[in-house]
Amino acid sequence: MLKSVVRAVGAAARLSSASTSAARVLPLSYPALRSPSSAVTRPFTRSLWMLNNNGASSGYRPKLFSSKVLSPSMSCGCGGLHTEGDKAFGDFLSDEIKEEKKIQKNKSLPKVSGGWELEMNGTEAKLTRSVSGEKIAVTFNINNSIPPNFEEEVEQTQQKSAEEEPEIVSTPNFVVEVTKQAAKHSLVFDCHFPEDEISHGEGEEESDIFAIREVSFQPQGDSEWKETSYTLNTDSLDWALYDHLMDFLADRGVDNTFADELMELSTAIEHQEYIKFLEDLQGFVKCN
Amino acid sequence: MGVVLRNLQKVVPLRRARLRRDVDTLRHILGIQKFDLGIICVDNQKMQQINHIYRKKNTPTDVLSFPFYEDLRPGKLPCPLHRDELNLGDIFLGVEFVMKQCQEESLDLHGALTVVTAHGICHLLGYRHETEEEWTEMQQRENYILSEYSRLTGRHLDPLMKRCSQDR
Repeated sequence: MLKSVVRAVGAAARLSSASTSAARVLPLSYPALRSPSSAVTRPFTRSLWMLNNNGASSGYRPKLFSSKVLSPSMSCGCGGLHTEGDKAFGDFLSDEIKEEKKIQKNKSLPKVSGGWELEMNGTEAKLTRSVSGEKIAVTFNINNSIPPNFEEEVEQTQQKSAEEEPEIVSTPNFVVEVTKQAAKHSLVFDCHFPEDEISHGEGEEESDIFAIREVSFQPQGDSEWKETSYTLNTDSLDWALYDHLMDFLADRGVDNTFADELMELSTAIEHQEYIKFLEDLQGFVKCN
Repeated sequence: MGVVLRNLQKVVPLRRARLRRDVDTLRHILGIQKFDLGIICVDNQKMQQINHIYRKKNTPTDVLSFPFYEDLRPGKLPCPLHRDELNLGDIFLGVEFVMKQCQEESLDLHGALTVVTAHGICHLLGYRHETEEEWTEMQQRENYILSEYSRLTGRHLDPLMKRCSQDR
């Protein structure tokens, strides 16, 4: 595996995935059929908890555990199992995809200013640019990139106004790799968006838009991440050195503006991948 | 700990190392190296928000100080008993506001930020400018800080108190 992938995925795994995924869990009691207008008023887009009071307790429920599961009511000749539950699931996904596409800001991905070129490999994105013989590559993975405090924000917003929908923002950890032509090693920065660490209660604690977590040298062109390379952890670092490292990145186009644009790009990719996943899921469930 | 530097804005490209070095020079001049200090750089929107909340003034500004010690006699350093009291407080720098002033007056941004920070530190140390007397006292202190800064760094800076109104 590419070293940058190992770093990005490894760093991403530090986030709590449990609470992130909870926002997308589909409650079992959710009715398959609902009025289309109900989706418009929901407080956020990827969970259907709010729709439970719209007939969930009295309405239709898919009979997932009935005997019909063992004797499918439909068959398309694919050799797979087809149940009423699958049909309801497919209908539900169809509605969900429609809603997600409706709120999708743009079909094309936003550009990152500063001459960065984007390359995609599944859920991993790589931005590259060259500055006077130096190559700068920024890699991030959109998996597990939505902070777990998302649900807290939802509750707060619900209290304020039902119309103020919180936006899902993807804040992935990202790895910056600076390669000089003459050097044998690349300088690698493991960066993150520290929002997940600040307290949301008082709102008094302020963090930088992005922060460097670790810095190390890695051999150029080496696909393996070398754990034996010295890794500078910024937790206990001299702050003057930290500031120089931040200025070093800023000189290479990795500053607060870049971090903000990376967040926008990652959010758009994440949403695109989510819709694609729902479409794949629908195809798999429906088998067509 | 020292100086905690935060850059929460993306409007102004800041040189963090330069800003820290300048703030450290100011701390050295004032003999406050053992005290912690927060420097938070924000844009006009955030500055206006803070100004509105804490001063009921719905406009952006260049600097707002939040002293840890609120009843200091100007010029008298606090005598903390515990390590966590070795703190002077926080200074919010309206870097976007300062940058616009610099553009209008063709001034160096980091020079102007040093002047504005010196003003903010004076407030953390108990200086005020609500009366003529206070204003003179604070101006004298700022003049001293900046003349020492010029002597140490070779960079000449004009004090903020000359340019600003008393509404700060």
